Amino acid sequence: MAIIRLNYEYLERLTGTDRQIVIDRLPMIGSDIERTLEDHVDVEFFPSRVDLYSTEGVARAMRGFLGIEEGLPDYPVTPSGIAFSVDPALAEIRPYLASAVIRNVRLDEAGIESLMGLQESLHWALGRGRRKVAIGVHDMDAVKPPFRYLASPRDRRFVPLDFTEDLSMEEILADHPKGRDYARLVEEFDRFPLIVDAEDRVLSFPPIINGELTRVTTETKNILLDCTGTDERAVRMAANIICTALAEAGAEIESVLIDGVACPDLSPAERIVGPADCARLLGLDLNAAAMAALLRKMRFGAEPLPDGRVRVLVPPYRADIMHDWDLFEDIAIAYGYDRFDAALPRTFTTGREHPISALERMVRAIFTGLGHLEVLPFTLTSEKLLYGRMGREPSPDVLPVAKPITEDQSVVRTHILPLLMETLEINRHRELPQRIFATGDVIRGETTMQTVAAVSIHAAADFSEAYATMDALCRECGLRAEFAESADPAFIDGRRGDVVVNGKIVGVFGEIHPEVLAAFSLEHPVAALELDLTAVPGYPGRQDTP
Amino acid sequence: MADLTLNEKRLLLALAPRGRAGAGALAEALETSEEAVVQYAHLCADRGLAAIERTVTKTYTLTPEGEEYRKSGLPERQIFEQIGDGISMKDLQALPLSRIGIGWLRKKGWIAIKNGVAEKSGEVPPGDDEIALAAPKEGMPGIPDLLKRNLVVEAEEAAYAIAITPAGQALVETGLDLREETGTLTRDQILSGSWRTANLRRYSLQTPPKRIYPGKSHPYQRIIDDVKRILQDMGFVEMRGDIVLSAFWDFDALFQPQDHPAREMQDTFYLDRTEPVPAGWEGVRDMHEHGGATSSTGWGGIWEAAKAEQCVLRTHTTPLSVKYLIENPRPPVKAFALGRVYRREAIDPTHLPEFEQLEGIVMDEDVTFRHLLGYLREFYQRMGFENVRFRPGYFPYTEPSVEPEVWVDGLGWVELGGAGVFREEVTAPWGIEAPVLAWGLGISRVGMLKLGLKDLRQLYRSDIDWIRESPVIGKGE
Repeated sequence: MAIIRLNYEYLERLTGTDRQIVIDRLPMIGSDIERTLEDHVDVEFFPSRVDLYSTEGVARAMRGFLGIEEGLPDYPVTPSGIAFSVDPALAEIRPYLASAVIRNVRLDEAGIESLMGLQESLHWALGRGRRKVAIGVHDMDAVKPPFRYLASPRDRRFVPLDFTEDLSMEEILADHPKGRDYARLVEEFDRFPLIVDAEDRVLSFPPIINGELTRVTTETKNILLDCTGTDERAVRMAANIICTALAEAGAEIESVLIDGVACPDLSPAERIVGPADCARLLGLDLNAAAMAALLRKMRFGAEPLPDGRVRVLVPPYRADIMHDWDLFEDIAIAYGYDRFDAALPRTFTTGREHPISALERMVRAIFTGLGHLEVLPFTLTSEKLLYGRMGREPSPDVLPVAKPITEDQSVVRTHILPLLMETLEINRHRELPQRIFATGDVIRGETTMQTVAAVSIHAAADFSEAYATMDALCRECGLRAEFAESADPAFIDGRRGDVVVNGKIVGVFGEIHPEVLAAFSLEHPVAALELDLTAVPGYPGRQDTP
Repeated sequence: MADLTLNEKRLLLALAPRGRAGAGALAEALETSEEAVVQYAHLCADRGLAAIERTVTKTYTLTPEGEEYRKSGLPERQIFEQIGDGISMKDLQALPLSRIGIGWLRKKGWIAIKNGVAEKSGEVPPGDDEIALAAPKEGMPGIPDLLKRNLVVEAEEAAYAIAITPAGQALVETGLDLREETGTLTRDQILSGSWRTANLRRYSLQTPPKRIYPGKSHPYQRIIDDVKRILQDMGFVEMRGDIVLSAFWDFDALFQPQDHPAREMQDTFYLDRTEPVPAGWEGVRDMHEHGGATSSTGWGGIWEAAKAEQCVLRTHTTPLSVKYLIENPRPPVKAFALGRVYRREAIDPTHLPEFEQLEGIVMDEDVTFRHLLGYLREFYQRMGFENVRFRPGYFPYTEPSVEPEVWVDGLGWVELGGAGVFREEVTAPWGIEAPVLAWGLGISRVGMLKLGLKDLRQLYRSDIDWIRESPVIGKGE
């Protein structure tokens, strides 16, 4: 999530109230206070509320929430007469452009930092790492309109930001830090996106880097904004958010003609909602006037209609209002989550344990009754543990994850027994005897199923103990099984058995092979077993034998 | 004082006339070993009946090298005797033993070297080290040097003397019952009635018993069981399901946009498998692209079935809820799931690639956000969190969304899970018309809070001693 830095002085100036009042109420519009410092507070907002990613945006929302200034903010836009053209060759590369002229900005160092912060947060939340949207701000007075957004040959040269010499666009991708970070977004294309002025001077190579020529400084009076990207809605939203934030700081917005169409369009979107739908979602009994009043606190334009519904004007910066319910949530927030009368419905229902959970619970009772301690090992593990160290052949049933972080979590377990051996290894300095068990999910092929496994380590652990334990488990589970000679290489030949039900091997038990003991650094014999719970009567879908 | 064993009584009786005696002498008198005498004496000493004096003596034995030098002299002495008044360095270095000897000759000041010639400093009497080497004994000033030169090795020998205390004397004077004691009763003693006359040994409560441990569930599993029981008590049916899901169920059906960061390879475990999109997928596509027949705008753009077909290890349990609702579309439905979920995270004390998540849903004709808050408050209070508060939250598949927080002494308000009403974009494609309240909660966090752990790994890679010492009821000391 994005962390927004709110400078106290600036916040107080923009909200017209005391910092503490703002900070106390911030969590109730949906933010986490990360840390409070001497001159600023760092807060975190949800990725849906990109309009709160600037001090100006937060102040705008809080003025409404605190009742200082309610209703739809008004952002007049006057035409600048400046034209911007978009090269049709960009259609397959980066087709969308939004732009604006922002006059009379008064940026001090903190103002520039805040603007850069907003830009970065939008790149992350709205731009998905600059792919959907990338934003550029330029010193308008360093260049000459009209502007052109075009698909340029890759060897075009200019001086990128933070450099003193010109580089080709290809060199920028290889040598400029931003070029390396974002090269993957454009490198596959024959031509690269480029913004130039009337004299063919470079403003920007979106989404990578601006030119040094139009660097914004504290001297900058007028800004040209460009937003480019692959998603038209997101591109327009980014421009709206930047424009309205700077307007909140006192600047004036002028539109640009992009292939003849004026941009930005800061007019509100309209929605009409009714009290019945609102009440059905929230459980609050609010009439249209009450709804409208709460919506105005959230900076919507809202007025009751004669038919009892509410006409809502959605500010141009609210990216998250997709559905009527999004308005109802804002009504709930304005009402105050802390003021809701939490209630329980009266419908009768009965609770029920899942049959597999019931089986696991009974298996736990059997093993704790036998004196075993339960452990809950990971389900992610490695083939090396599951098969290599167990002396077993790798199983074709094993499910690897595509991009593991480490070898130790590269597959999902097909068996639990190897994880118990690892648990014994971790606990090899603890007092003996140790008797442990685990039950839970394993995946074979793509199927989620369950097994139970148990091990016992001490000087006298042997085949007899494993056999007796498996025999007790089967009896207690009501499982009529046959025991047959096993070929499982994890166990000592002549000291191992398979559990066979209807001709199918569903479990194994015996005395662990000394080679396997050595692989787990164990110095005493281990009696071990594992049984598929799918074989146990009561398992959903099991064909019970008569 | 009646709980003395026969052996302790015999020791006191042997001591009484002597007052004080060595363990060796007592062992002879009692016809047992010195170790046994010391053991009985400790038991008497614990009761204030005897006092034990331990004296340690150090003994020294010569190493083979030391033994050789004892016979023929230290190397420096041997050379000193050979060289007359002076010798050239070259000749000196040619002598046997010169490698060890020259250094010591110079260190001890027995020779001085001028212009390549070593000259004796005069006659030298035997040093402390030479005296000690002849017959090493504790306290001799030459011993440390010999130890350093590895010519002797030191050993410690403990000797015990035992003295009877006035309380011990007084006890002996009152007379001691010396009949044989019976420890464990035999079948014969019980059947014949001879136990009536037997001298039954009395056991001391001062000796702690051997610690034994029952077989038991894992402490974290007990918390999981509590949570499940609470939900069943509240009328919820348990759901379970597959760990392997297509992205369609894990993300798309929950209205997570296809370019959502959580869907990226670095956050989710993808598998090299695909699963065709299920019947009814078109409704989900429409919802993403334009909001279908609802008041939603959707996310816009093109929804790609190929992205939805990739399989993942489930990143949350919420897909189980959607599948369950599709199978049980008629209200009322109250269901929960508690299972492992998977995130592509590197392991550290507070992050694991797998952990338990709880998921609860309520679908009913007239339930509202207000009832969601009611369920949450009831649930958390049953979990033992008395104070619950609600703050706005954000999840792609709920609206309104809420983050419940609970008060934990020492920590303050702790965010515990998330909740909301399923968006219409989630329910509408499947014809689910009644509102669906939903909440999710990381149970491993609850486990850490309740068990007072600082490292999540302890839950899954457990120290057996920790399980042994965690009581079934309560948290323990």
